[in-house]
Amino acid sequence: MNDTCTGNEMKLKIMHLYPDLLNLYGDRGNIECLRYRLQWRGCGSEIVRHTCADDGFSLEDVDIVFLGGGSDREQKIVCSRLLEHKRELKEFAENGGCILAVCGGYQLLGKYYKLEDETIEGLDILDIYTEQGGVRLIGNIVLETEFAGKVVGFENHGGRTYIGSHKPLGRVIYGNGNDETSGVEGVVYKNVIATYLHGPLLPKNPQLCDHILTTALKRKYPDFQGLPDIDDDLENKANKYIVGRYAGDR
Amino acid sequence: MRRLIAIWAGKLLTAAGRLAGKKSTASPGAAALKIYPGLVKDVNKRVKKKVIVTCGTNGKTTTNNLLCTALEAKGFKVLCNRLGANMLSGIATAYVQTADIFGRLSVDYACLEVDEAYTPMIFSRIRPDIMVITNLFRDQLDRYGEIDITINILKHAISGAKGVKVILNADDPLCVQFGLGWCADPVYYGISEKVLPQTDDTKEGRFCPVCGEELSYKYYHYSQLGDFACPKCSYKRPEPDYEVKNVSIGPPMRFDINGESMEVNYKGFYNIYNLAAVYAALDTAGESTDDFGSLLENYKPQIGRMQEFSFNKPVILSLSKNPAGFNQAIATVNSDERKKDVIIAINDLANDGRDVSWLWDVDFHKIKNDKLNRLMTTGIRVYDITLRFKYADIKVDMMTDSMKEAVLKALSDESEVVYVLVNYTALYPTEAVLKSLEGEKSYE
Repeated sequence: MNDTCTGNEMKLKIMHLYPDLLNLYGDRGNIECLRYRLQWRGCGSEIVRHTCADDGFSLEDVDIVFLGGGSDREQKIVCSRLLEHKRELKEFAENGGCILAVCGGYQLLGKYYKLEDETIEGLDILDIYTEQGGVRLIGNIVLETEFAGKVVGFENHGGRTYIGSHKPLGRVIYGNGNDETSGVEGVVYKNVIATYLHGPLLPKNPQLCDHILTTALKRKYPDFQGLPDIDDDLENKANKYIVGRYAGDR
Repeated sequence: MRRLIAIWAGKLLTAAGRLAGKKSTASPGAAALKIYPGLVKDVNKRVKKKVIVTCGTNGKTTTNNLLCTALEAKGFKVLCNRLGANMLSGIATAYVQTADIFGRLSVDYACLEVDEAYTPMIFSRIRPDIMVITNLFRDQLDRYGEIDITINILKHAISGAKGVKVILNADDPLCVQFGLGWCADPVYYGISEKVLPQTDDTKEGRFCPVCGEELSYKYYHYSQLGDFACPKCSYKRPEPDYEVKNVSIGPPMRFDINGESMEVNYKGFYNIYNLAAVYAALDTAGESTDDFGSLLENYKPQIGRMQEFSFNKPVILSLSKNPAGFNQAIATVNSDERKKDVIIAINDLANDGRDVSWLWDVDFHKIKNDKLNRLMTTGIRVYDITLRFKYADIKVDMMTDSMKEAVLKALSDESEVVYVLVNYTALYPTEAVLKSLEGEKSYE
């Protein structure tokens, strides 16, 4: 334990990009998790919802960007809006800004998403691409990750994402992942984390949430010592339940 | 001959199920279809008047059963899958159960609830004369994919059903789009005034299906239902043919449909839509609506539709399957002024949808108010629902793997009423617990 994160002197600004469009399934759970896990450590947060109705766009004092999932149709609308901010987002990522992108948001970070009859241009932040595959890959999924132990979630995607030489978020112990064959899921680049595990990814994976918070706090406050422990009994139970049910012997 | 054997097999399985204390909703029909796959193809021939199909995410079972009750009250014989089994096997079950021992089926009407995803398959066998679409909300994305996929399936099913008269919810921008060239002369029903406080719950179809612009609203009822219009093109809420006004939530709930006053005992604002849809369907079928109120006196809600059990205090069981349904259930709980306990059970079996992410689209935080006495969670995904509350900063008083334990706790404490909110596969076990406790009276 340490006391460097109390008294509201530390605060992160979290930008939720297009929550009005990319909100396919429970994405707000991730924002709530980031917010409460800061609050329970005595840190502050400012959540900025950047919607279609907002004209200005600045990442200047933003610490974490969250991009959720949407339907193909909504993703197209978002993409045309996001492409206007391509340069800022790319700079943000290159300069060590934290981005968490889920599902549709994951696909948008790449070069393109090739659908049956058209290709959606991506933000080109990562050297990855997505192609529409055969059947949708749907189901519970369990990963073994480097910095957050076993990560659990639910995937539901028609696209297959190819991450080239990038590092994946984790190795698939149960489920499909980026595609049917590679055996890996998601992608990590600098402080960008992208994954198909949609909806409320963070509440059941508190280590992953704390990893993102720690990274962002260290970037903003160079002498930050680390997050104090909090009671994660319930979070760990929820995580272990899925691990035990689907990957008990691995 | 195969047809007759199929019907007998179905009847036998129904009887066997009854002996085993089960309500067979789909398996007798599934077995009968294996023996005679063409079983339901002659429904149109055996229905003297009309085949009326009800689709939509929420309210299907209630609307379909209300309609059946009204038609039966008029003295008609009706083929109806009233237990809510809404795929081909469920319809086949109703078929074998309604047919006589010689395999003869002769009815005036068929009232069929049909799962949206199965409409093309069922419409290739049974041609609907009238089709009601109640609403479209996000539901079990792991089974159906995105809501856009369901909309496309319905568009093809409607345009393939030649001559069908379509009845649409005028307040739902997702439903109204079926009137854009997918069916001829649809009729609309809707609630034409602001009734409820405006909320910020998760909304589908925020964008105009014609031009993609964000829709603007004069008011919302709930979710995306309301008086909408596109600021850019001409897409907007149509003038309803069947219009609800002068709503008073009650209890008892009161409102007018096309100027005719109704008073009903049902809980839940959404039931106004169900009743308006039934009214529209009756009138469209050419049946009189003069005695609408009395037609529904014999209606018994299916289990879990705000079903009341009597103990030393009332216990009310409510089935909700998706965010729109849960938000409505929570609104109904909150409209009850008594001091209450709330038990929430969440399962994730195949019929619930394996994905529980939707829990985060429900405004569960709204359940917290000064009338809430004790909050308890249970079900297969008890940790997920409890976490959902933790990240809304709401304390769960008890987490248990036993519904019985939760109910007994609620019966023994100082609350005045208990609400039990469950999703699909938690419904029947919960009903069984409540029924057996009612028998034991061990709570006293």
